[in-house]
This record gives sequence, structure tokens and C-alpha cells, in this order.
Amino acid sequence: MSNGRILVVDDEPQIRRVLRTTLAAQGYEVFDARTGEDALLAIRDQRFDVVLLDMNMPGMGGLAACREIRAGADVAIIMLTVKNTEHDKVTALDAGADDYITKPFGVPELSARIRAALRRLPVPQGSDAEVIRLDGEEVDLRARRVHRAGKETRLTPKEFDLLHYLIANPRTPIPHTKLLQAVWGPDYGDQVEYLRVFVNQLRKKIEPDPAHPRYLLTEPWVGYRFEPPAS
Amino acid sequence: MSDLPWKPSYLRGALFGVGGVAGVTALFTQVLAVNASTVGFLLLTVVLATATTAGFRVSALVSVAAMLCFNFFFLPPVGRFTIADPENWVALFTFLLTALVASHLSDRARKQTIEAKRRQLETEQLYALSRAILLTESSRPIGTQAAQNIAQIFSSRAVIILDSKSGQYFQSGEQATTGWESRLDEVVRLGNHQRYTAEDLDVWPISLGGKPIGALGAMGIAVSDGAVQSMLNLVAIALERVRTEEAANRAEAARQSEEFKSTLLDAIAHEFKTPLTSIKAAATGLRTLDPARTGDHQELAAIIEEETDRLSQLVTEAVKMAEIDAGKVRLQREPVSAEMLLMGTVDTFEGRGAERFRVSTTTEANLLVDRELMTLALRQVLDNALKYSEPDSVIACKAVETGEEVQLRVEDEGPGVPERDRQRIFEKFFRRASTRDQVPGTGLGLHIAREITRMHGGDLWVESATSQGAAFCFRVPLRARGPK
Repeated sequence: MSNGRILVVDDEPQIRRVLRTTLAAQGYEVFDARTGEDALLAIRDQRFDVVLLDMNMPGMGGLAACREIRAGADVAIIMLTVKNTEHDKVTALDAGADDYITKPFGVPELSARIRAALRRLPVPQGSDAEVIRLDGEEVDLRARRVHRAGKETRLTPKEFDLLHYLIANPRTPIPHTKLLQAVWGPDYGDQVEYLRVFVNQLRKKIEPDPAHPRYLLTEPWVGYRFEPPAS
Repeated sequence: MSDLPWKPSYLRGALFGVGGVAGVTALFTQVLAVNASTVGFLLLTVVLATATTAGFRVSALVSVAAMLCFNFFFLPPVGRFTIADPENWVALFTFLLTALVASHLSDRARKQTIEAKRRQLETEQLYALSRAILLTESSRPIGTQAAQNIAQIFSSRAVIILDSKSGQYFQSGEQATTGWESRLDEVVRLGNHQRYTAEDLDVWPISLGGKPIGALGAMGIAVSDGAVQSMLNLVAIALERVRTEEAANRAEAARQSEEFKSTLLDAIAHEFKTPLTSIKAAATGLRTLDPARTGDHQELAAIIEEETDRLSQLVTEAVKMAEIDAGKVRLQREPVSAEMLLMGTVDTFEGRGAERFRVSTTTEANLLVDRELMTLALRQVLDNALKYSEPDSVIACKAVETGEEVQLRVEDEGPGVPERDRQRIFEKFFRRASTRDQVPGTGLGLHIAREITRMHGGDLWVESATSQGAAFCFRVPLRARGPK
């Protein structure tokens, strides 16, 4: 039994070669693709747990590939890029990536991020509130789905975990660091921009008016808070 | 249009009129016998025809001649200038009056037609000129092209244009225009139209928005004042357009060169980092995947990894510096407290000596800075302090408010920086001879740190720490100010 199926998408053969070797040695099943287009074809036919996606590729490029993959699958996506400004990170996360790693990176750092991407918050056993009803939405904690007016809204695993964690701790301001470590893992804590992007995406998906959120509230200087609907 | 007394057209008109009157008289006295009214009407026709072609003066003359013939040959008693019947007096004067009034009216219509034709011609000429000026090619000076266009369109023998701002004279052709330059200069000085009869030269000042920008001289040109003004305006616009275009071209060239530079930088960064990524992943892979192998193996892989990091940092810093030099970096200021800034920077050294820093601040003030860039600047100095002091020594990071600015001080207990190197350590690629071989570095970090601080309107320098060692001081203004 492998630790997971990983698709490496990079136009640079040496990077594909070294990642294939190192990740396979860690017990992952590794596949690779040379372009975003090839990656989309591979993802259409097979299931992967993590996609390592280079941002700068010929053809459609990493960002467009990320959006396409995200539109069709809830696989975890980690962007690989040479730039490390906040703007670049936000762009990558906005395109639907779960995480971001700057080239050149070491194998331990990459492994940590892959583990974080594979992490899923455990569903509380025997919890009473398995389905949370918001105004027009139903969040099914066990099935990890959100329904809006009978239609299913797709949440990425990290979006779902973030929402889940906030719902599990209602009316409590949760600091950035705590949220990051709960959802991504113990190696995280500084990446406030991750939360900003993911909370914005969640608001677009579950808030009736994303510009004036009612459930997912910002606690200035602290973090975020879930306000359940008054019943 | 001046009325010279004996223009050829007048003579022709007079001959035609008098001939016409004589012809009609001869016809009706010698060949046909008709009544006086018929003759009168035919004579009137001759007068009108004269008026339309030759003007009022000639037709007035012809009117009198016709009246005399009418009287002499057709009104009784025929053959004499006397008139028997008073009724015929009335007829005679009615004839004269009608001839004069009709002459006058048709002459006026003729003049208006001529004027309209002239205006139309001038409008066409101005249109042709504006078209020519709009369509000028950039290969030849636009002044020369304008001068040639004016000479051709307004049938002037030679045209010369002075562009005062550049001090250039543009001529329509090879014609001898020696000495004209001084005429143009004179008109620019005087500010109004001058005519130099000796050369048949008219010179007008060219102005735009009330400001004189040059002069135009034309030889043998016949255009109305209104048309001249329009022509001058066109030339003014043409000259000004050249200047605007040149400025735009320069700006565009500068922009393209910047764009090229930054594209090149991105490409270089990408080209270097790609193989570095493979090397680093391979080296760290060696270390982590086979921990059973120790000693030499681990040591060698560690060296590859460290040197990869150094190369990678060099590329990052070189690109960052080039971006700052090229003015490509824009500050995104946000309020952040000095403590947050220092703590945040120290946090980035987690696992690499963060525990050696002691942060102490005595100010609550918020700095209005680009957090990312300022952290980058502080990182360089903190990294420097770590590298140049004893491995277990403490490094103090302080923030003190002094009036309108905040000083961030990073004090280490290392050997300090000798007086003579205190300026030079901030220069690009400068590395001190004594430490060059012992401490890894790129020689760019402090330069970047100072450039970033200066972009914020502050400064960075080094002095002696209170105990020993070096103290790097950032001066950051509390209110946002541009770079000096």
C-alpha cells in the first residue's frame, strides 16, 4: 500500500527525475507530466492524491492548469515556483492551490508539505451535529459536502477542513496560527495570506453576500470566528 | 483684390460691351426694323453681360454708351440727341437706371462668386496642408516637410520656418534664402507680421497658446489673413507634435528597455533556479533517504546543499537588486509596529540562530513601511550579525523613537567594522578582505538593505556598538516620505 499517488507536473526533466526518485523512495507512487495539458489528461483518467504543479511552464502554464484541475477534482495541489513574493503566493492560492513551495526546496520541506496536503481533519465520531444548516446551505460534516438549494457546492479539502474547524468551535475567535496549524499542520503558522485567500473563497461559496459575511467573520488582528445562524 | 484701372479683363469687357451696343444698333438700324422697347431690352442684355464679366465700372460706361445710342438712333427725333415726346424721356432714364442698377447687382454677385471661389480655394489649400502635415513621415524633419508643403500648396517660391525651441531653420528647397534667418529672428523678437518688399518676403510669427514658438517666411505668397492664421496654427501644431512625439518615443524606448531588463531578469532567475532545484532536491534526498550512511557521505551532501543555497540566494539577491535599481519595485506601505517588524524578521531565522536575538522596543509607534521589503532589509542585517559574531553571543535588536523617526538598531558582539570600511560595506559586491574567505556571503545583502531603507526615506549605517562589535542603525521616518 503506497503512501499516496503523486503527479509531478514540470517541464524540466531533471526536476521530474529527482522528484520521482526521492518521492518514490518515501513510499509514494509517482507519476509525471511535462505540461499542464498532459496533467489534465492524466487527471481525467486517473485519481491522484497530490499534484505538484510548476507555475512556469510552456503551454497553458501552471496557474491555468491549477484552475482547470480545481474545477474538476478535489485533489490537493501544491504549486512549485521560483518567486516568493506575497503577491505570487496569493495568486497561486487564488487559482485553487492548497499550498505553495519556493524553488529551490529541500526534500524534507517538500515531504512536510505533501504530508500537510494529505492531512484531513478527522470527522468527530458520534457528533450530534452532522449536518449544519445555514441560510440556504447545508454543511454535511460526515460526507464533507456543502449543499446550496439542493445543488452541491464543491469545496477543496483544505477549504472544507477550514470551515469544519471553524464550525466545530463556534463563536470563538481563533488565532491565525492556531487555524493554520490545525488545518495545514504543525510546520505552519506564518502564512496568514493562506487564510485570507481560503476564507475569501469559502465566503464566496457559502455566504449569501460574500462582501458582508454573516457566518465567517474576521477578528481584526486575531483571526477568524464562526457565527452560527440564530435559531 | 486691388482694382487697377486697366486690367486686361476690363479692356476685354469694355470692348465686348461697346461692340455689343454697336452691333445691336447696327442690326436694328440697317437690317431689321423693330420698335424701341425691343431695342432697349436687347441693349440691357448687353449691359448685364458686361457687368457679370467685367465689373461695375465698365458696365456703367457701357450703360451710358447704350443710353446715348438708344436716344440717338431709336427715340424720335431719330438722328439727334434731343427728345420730342416727354414719354420718351421717361423711357430713356428708366433705361439708364435699369442698366445701372442691374449692372451694380450683377457686379456684386460676380464679386461674391469670386470671393467664394477664393475662399473655397483657400479652404482646399488649408485642408491639403493639414492633411500633408498629418501624414508627414518621420524620416525627414517635419519642419522641412511643412515648408515644402506650404510652398507647393500656396504656390510660394520659397518658404522658411524657424523653430525657436530647437533653434532650427527649415527650408522648402534650395532657393537662395541667405539672410532670411535674421528676418525670422527679427519677427520672433517683434512678435508681428513684417513684409520685406525687396525680397517679396512676408514673415509671420508662429505662436501656440499665446507663446511665440517660431516664425514662418514665405516668398511671393498671396493668401488672406484668415488663411495665414490657420496656416500658422497648423505649422505650430506640427512643430509641437514633433516635440510630443519625440518625448513619447523616448519614454517608450525607456519603457521597452526596462521591460526587456525585467524579462531578462525573470528568465535568468528561472534558468538558474531550475537546475539549482534539481541539485538541492537531490542533495537533500541523499541526506534524508539514506540516514544509515553517516560521516563523509552526510558531510559531502551537506556541502552540496549549503552551496546550492548560497548560489540560489545570490541569484535572488541579484534579481532583487536589479529590480530595485531599475525602479521596478513599488512600496506597498502599511502600518506595522517596530516590535512586530523585528519579531517577524527574527522569526524567519527559526532554527538558524533565532534564539540569539534579544528584541527590546521602547516605542509603540507604527511605521508606515512595506512590510515585506523592510523585513528583507532587516534580514540582511540580522543574517550579517549572526555570521560575523561568536556562535553563542547575543545580538540586541532595539527600536527607539527619536522625534519624527524610529531607529532600529542591531548590535552584535563581534569584532566590529573598522572605520575605513564603514561606508564601503554597503557598496555592491564589496567584501572585506579579512573575512572574505571565512564567512559565506554575496556582497549584496547590505547594499540591498540600504537601498530598501532609502526607498522609505530613511537610511542605514554602521557604528560602534555600546559594548564592542558593530551596531547597524536603520533610520525610518514615522511619516511616509519618498526617497531622498
